[in-house]
Amino acid sequence: MALEDLRAMVSRCSRCSYCKWIPLAHVKSWRFAKGCPSVEYNKFQSYSASGRLCASLSLLDGRSSYFDEGLVDIVFKCMLDGSCDVACKVNRYDLEPVEVMRQLRFKMIDNGCFPFQDLPYIEHLRKEDNMMLEEKADRGKWAEGLEVKDLTQEKAEVAFHAGCRLSFDQDLWEIPRTVVKILKDAGVDFGILGKDENCCGTRVSDMGYRGEFLKYAENNIDAWTNAGVKTVVTACSDGYHGLKRLYPEEFDFKFEVLHITQFIERLIQEGKIKFTREVPMTVTYHDPCHLGRRGEAHVPWKGEQKKIRGQILVYEPRKPRYNGVQGIYDTPRNIIKSIPGIKLVEMERNREYAWCCGAGAGVRERYPEFSAWTAGERIEEANATGAEAIVSACPHCERNFIDAVNERGERMKVYDILDLVREAI
Amino acid sequence: MALPREVYEALEAIVGPDNITEEPATLDSYAYQWMAELVTDVSGGGKFFDRAEAVLMPGSAEDVQNIIKTCNRNNLPYHAFSTGWGPWAASPAKGQILMDLRRMNRIIEIDEQNMFAVVEPYCVAAQLQSEVMKKGLNNHISGAGAGTSVLANACCFQGGGPDVIYFASPQDSILSIEWVTPEGNILTTGSKGSDLGWFCAEGPGPSTQGVIRGALGGAGGWGVVTKIAIRLVHWPGPKQIPVEGTAPAYRTRLSPDYFKAAFLAFPSFQAFADAIYRIYDSEIGYIVHRQFVMWGDELQAAFLNIVTDPTKQLCDLEELLKKPEIQKLTEEMQRSFQMILAGMTPRDLAYQRKVLAEILKTTDGWNIDFVDREDIQQYVLLFMLRLCFKSVNFAATGGFIDSYNSVATPDVWASGEIEAGKKLLKKYAGRIADAGDQAMGPIGGQGGGGCTGWEDFVFYDPADPDSAQAATEVSDEGDVLKAKQGRPPGGMLLGLARATHSDVNVRSKKLSKSPEYRWQRRIKEVLDPGSVGSGNYFWGAEPEKE
Repeated sequence: MALEDLRAMVSRCSRCSYCKWIPLAHVKSWRFAKGCPSVEYNKFQSYSASGRLCASLSLLDGRSSYFDEGLVDIVFKCMLDGSCDVACKVNRYDLEPVEVMRQLRFKMIDNGCFPFQDLPYIEHLRKEDNMMLEEKADRGKWAEGLEVKDLTQEKAEVAFHAGCRLSFDQDLWEIPRTVVKILKDAGVDFGILGKDENCCGTRVSDMGYRGEFLKYAENNIDAWTNAGVKTVVTACSDGYHGLKRLYPEEFDFKFEVLHITQFIERLIQEGKIKFTREVPMTVTYHDPCHLGRRGEAHVPWKGEQKKIRGQILVYEPRKPRYNGVQGIYDTPRNIIKSIPGIKLVEMERNREYAWCCGAGAGVRERYPEFSAWTAGERIEEANATGAEAIVSACPHCERNFIDAVNERGERMKVYDILDLVREAI
Repeated sequence: MALPREVYEALEAIVGPDNITEEPATLDSYAYQWMAELVTDVSGGGKFFDRAEAVLMPGSAEDVQNIIKTCNRNNLPYHAFSTGWGPWAASPAKGQILMDLRRMNRIIEIDEQNMFAVVEPYCVAAQLQSEVMKKGLNNHISGAGAGTSVLANACCFQGGGPDVIYFASPQDSILSIEWVTPEGNILTTGSKGSDLGWFCAEGPGPSTQGVIRGALGGAGGWGVVTKIAIRLVHWPGPKQIPVEGTAPAYRTRLSPDYFKAAFLAFPSFQAFADAIYRIYDSEIGYIVHRQFVMWGDELQAAFLNIVTDPTKQLCDLEELLKKPEIQKLTEEMQRSFQMILAGMTPRDLAYQRKVLAEILKTTDGWNIDFVDREDIQQYVLLFMLRLCFKSVNFAATGGFIDSYNSVATPDVWASGEIEAGKKLLKKYAGRIADAGDQAMGPIGGQGGGGCTGWEDFVFYDPADPDSAQAATEVSDEGDVLKAKQGRPPGGMLLGLARATHSDVNVRSKKLSKSPEYRWQRRIKEVLDPGSVGSGNYFWGAEPEKE
């Protein structure tokens, strides 16, 4: 698939602007009706999904140039959070806004057009296998003293992939350490790659660097294969999306992939985890984009679009429909609700139409002000519920929320779902 | 041709550097519009109308005023729009600037006691509805759906929709307005003009409702409306419409004591028309619309099954059409329309249901059982009460226009016009979607009824030049057929698309012969002597050429 292959699709955008809003059936207030942070912050039509489809056609038609001033900003100042995709596909079966935006990014980078802010991150990634600007040698430090199998030396059924954020963000180290405790207590045969773990490549793929993504995906698949791994567990939503959706799109990927919340829910159902301590608190749950609407599993498909009854567009055979509804929504909520003392309240925008945290697709690094504004909007929405804490299941969301709360002087607490689990066990 | 730097800098000084752009891809994102491919003399068959020279985002009426004054000083044409869906939002010609009003998006006031709301241009119907429902009120939503501007639908277009029979047309619901005139004066009209609040259009301040509104709406041709007070109606439902289900089959569970969705079917179009007159006379109904026939009378039953079942897709259409139960439903829905009854009390709803039953009895009509299935009842209620699924108009092929039928009294439908529209569409079937009768639209074109306002949808593929050409041909042929009957053209959408963008002579041939266009032209000449306000469909050829 290349941008050129999507010409007909982008010509069929009706420019209805549904991509700018949450699905209109779900609008509950004036304040929280918007779905797309990019167009809400940057305002011009070109910053919406529809606008980027138009920009794609403009480029394909030669009406504008990849090197036009401002185009880089339009193309890359977006979290690829997929809110547009969900709202568009409520009624459209033939449009794939996120896929168009991904291909547009790939095309831009193929043409040498990218945000200059990327340079230190991409250079560091190539050198140290992470975009956290940390040394590779320090990658496994979070696990020091935990006595976990090293998958470069030993084999195990399950690999815990910590990912870049949890490996290097010391404020969040209790999260992977809790995962280790839970897996150990459950008697799971698991290991980690420690300092030899690589970036999963998901974020760099969303940023538009397909070559880097393919390299890291291949390395990870080789490492897990060599270690005899059958299941990969992650506590990072970005990583989950990559392993569940992007890897199988590109490779013969045979591993079972579980987000830690799925693993925990399984253990609760099997009676292997029991919450015995009360956590008296009112919390609201933030659906990470890459675990929710973009967390749908890849379904292989090979087919074509054809027309019936003259001009009606259909796919033959039936094409998998990624409209966000198969993401992971109930699992984290079920865990939270099973913790004694906790009251879960919902934000207006939730599940497949949740507002993004602002961290995705490199926006936190490229456009920190936009990223912080997006997180701040979510914190305001959380405040409106009366909750004391916002809980998520993705370290990228949590880091962005923590920074936003601190910057704004808010009292809202920010937790990973594993923080609550740890408290309750 | 880029704007002269001094003009650009003057505009930039008004809105700030973050709210003005000349970036080519951004300008193209505004030039790209639905139906551009049909206006081939401008687009060459592509998706782009003329590029504006710049796009600006004013944040207040004062910004708009200063922009318009700058435009007048520099003889620079401007065009303003709100949510911007449709060809009329693109720059009407080269050498113009666009004002995207999305920064002006507030609800200024909701007056619960006097039942009106004051909004800015980019407040969309879904937003206003979500807020006024909390106060037991509801707002009109135009046929374009919940994602469009309340203000633009009231001031700039005909703006009708499924609820007009109860809510009245938006032009009848305009109260005071804040208006930046074509020469850059801010005029506040109606009661607000005397600083007595927004509650009345006609005074004790100046009344300009007839001017600002006109027969067809100003479409920005005579300045920019920056605030509008709009009348609200009673809402007997919950403060927030609950939504459940999985996309696309979102649905709502409302109390059957207060709400009822009905699919009313008839043995003939004569009976169909008789029932409509009786509905007008009996003053029942909250929303009355011929909605789902937009998918075609031959496909609507199957389409309904697809959109109410998340596991289905359009590839299921052919198989569904073979099913006996779908065939039966297709037959039943052939001469049908949708009606939402809303009771202000359970007794009120019971009364309306009783009256409806009587109407059906006297016209040999019936309510189709299918709509009483719980999930269908809930889907139809959500669809019609929030008009939140209107992008579904594009689901089949990615593009649609209208062709034959237009505003008419119900007896017209009994005279063979629906069949005539279907026959025309069938002639082009293959190059357009083969769906049958697609005459859809409001059963009440004005408050209380009085007429219908229908469009024969044409589903075409905008990415397929031959299909786009066929859509143009079917619409043009429909206009010719209507002209022979001495009736106005039915192909409103294509007509407007051409008229807002084509050469002045093309415009005058297409639309400006009607008296209302002449009157609107006269108003335009007085209000906008420099003609810097948006060029529009009513601003066509010189009078002597008409």
